[in-house]
Amino acid sequence: MSNSLPRSLLTAVVTLCASVMFLTLVLPVGTLVAGAGVGGIAQALTDRDVVQSLLVTFAGATIATLLAIAGGTPLAYLLARVPFRGRAIVEALVELPVVIPHPVIGMALLLAMGRDSAVGHALAPIGLAVVNSPFGIVIAMLVVSAPLFILGARESIARVDARLESVARTLGDDRWTAVRRVTLPLARNGIVSSATAMWARATSEFGAIVLVAYHPRVASVLAYDRYVTYGLSAALPVAAALIVVALVVLMLVRRSRRMERP
Amino acid sequence: MIRAQDLVIGVPGFTLKPATFTVPTGAIAIVTGPTGAGKTTLLETIAGVRSSSGGTVFLGDRDMTHASPEVRDVGLVYQQAWLFPHLSVQDNVAYGGRSTRIVAELIAMLRVDALLGKPVATLSGGERQLVAIARALAREPRTLLLDEPFAAMDSALRSGMRTAVLEWAVTHGATTMLVTHDAAEATLDGCIGLHVEAGAVRQRA
Repeated sequence: MSNSLPRSLLTAVVTLCASVMFLTLVLPVGTLVAGAGVGGIAQALTDRDVVQSLLVTFAGATIATLLAIAGGTPLAYLLARVPFRGRAIVEALVELPVVIPHPVIGMALLLAMGRDSAVGHALAPIGLAVVNSPFGIVIAMLVVSAPLFILGARESIARVDARLESVARTLGDDRWTAVRRVTLPLARNGIVSSATAMWARATSEFGAIVLVAYHPRVASVLAYDRYVTYGLSAALPVAAALIVVALVVLMLVRRSRRMERP
Repeated sequence: MIRAQDLVIGVPGFTLKPATFTVPTGAIAIVTGPTGAGKTTLLETIAGVRSSSGGTVFLGDRDMTHASPEVRDVGLVYQQAWLFPHLSVQDNVAYGGRSTRIVAELIAMLRVDALLGKPVATLSGGERQLVAIARALAREPRTLLLDEPFAAMDSALRSGMRTAVLEWAVTHGATTMLVTHDAAEATLDGCIGLHVEAGAVRQRA
């Protein structure tokens, strides 16, 4: 009896804290979607500019995520498994885009890869430009969001005991075959989760993209454009459509992963 | 043959002083020593999954000091088994197996057949060790490195499996190092004794 009151009080406090936190996360987004209404969202999804911006957003995020998987998985493996001098510095540099304002990343991209840069000059002959191009959108999404993938994948790989790779190598696998047959399958769930988080972050990117590629407009830039041009009510359906479509995609990814589990 | 010549191992918390010992081809060496003495580290270095700091390791007549594990032709069984949890028992045993016939023979010899339908995660410690031994032997290695491979088995199974595995090693001419804390194994007839303690390896005839 003496313990039951504090315990129920503790349960109430925990529930209250969890509820407040959840509401803080959901309230603004929920209010925005409710404000747009089903009719507004449906109408936005028939707006050619909105549909095009959603396509650019999701295609850009998907390409950026695939590029991060291709280049970031080996980097994550090296950071997780291979001790080398300066690893802490490399890790800090990889993590840097997470902690600096994204418009700053946009400025850095313009300096490093803009028309007047050495990279810009090198890309021009093959028809690639960062400024106001789908390529620029992908690069901005990649630089801003890939750290989420790399750091998550590194943790997932580090959780797979290195002795499993050692055993595989005594059974005839070279290092990379052991990684392919043992480490990556065991780290797969974490890698997929990291890729999903990166994709979601890329779809919501605004700060870097708005500086690098105002056109073609991604959904966040279109919503901002409508807000500053026509006001909040005009921007609501676009923003709500982005939220609803992103939520549906995330739920589908999570559901497919649940179905994969034995 | 396993021959270590002035072998030096340096890892955090453990340093092996220059060690020289020889296990002749087809012979069995029993490795003893207190917990934390570096027995597992010694086996890992001979297997090539851990680098040495100095000296040489010969396997057969070849200097394998800097060779990758996959070319050393060694079988390594850890006390913790380290089965691949994403694979079935059958696929674990067959992972590096020379042929399906050899895999089937070892599954029968080590009585792993009763475990084939079980998920790896549900196996007991002794069962996991049986599968790990079968997996290592299926490659028919010339060098067999066993790190307390029977420790999680009950005494009856342990005795039978020890006899079966060491007979297999003798029949196949595999040079074997067996780490043990078991008094019966430490005094097996006809075996070489290696004692690891205080960062040094002493060889007994």
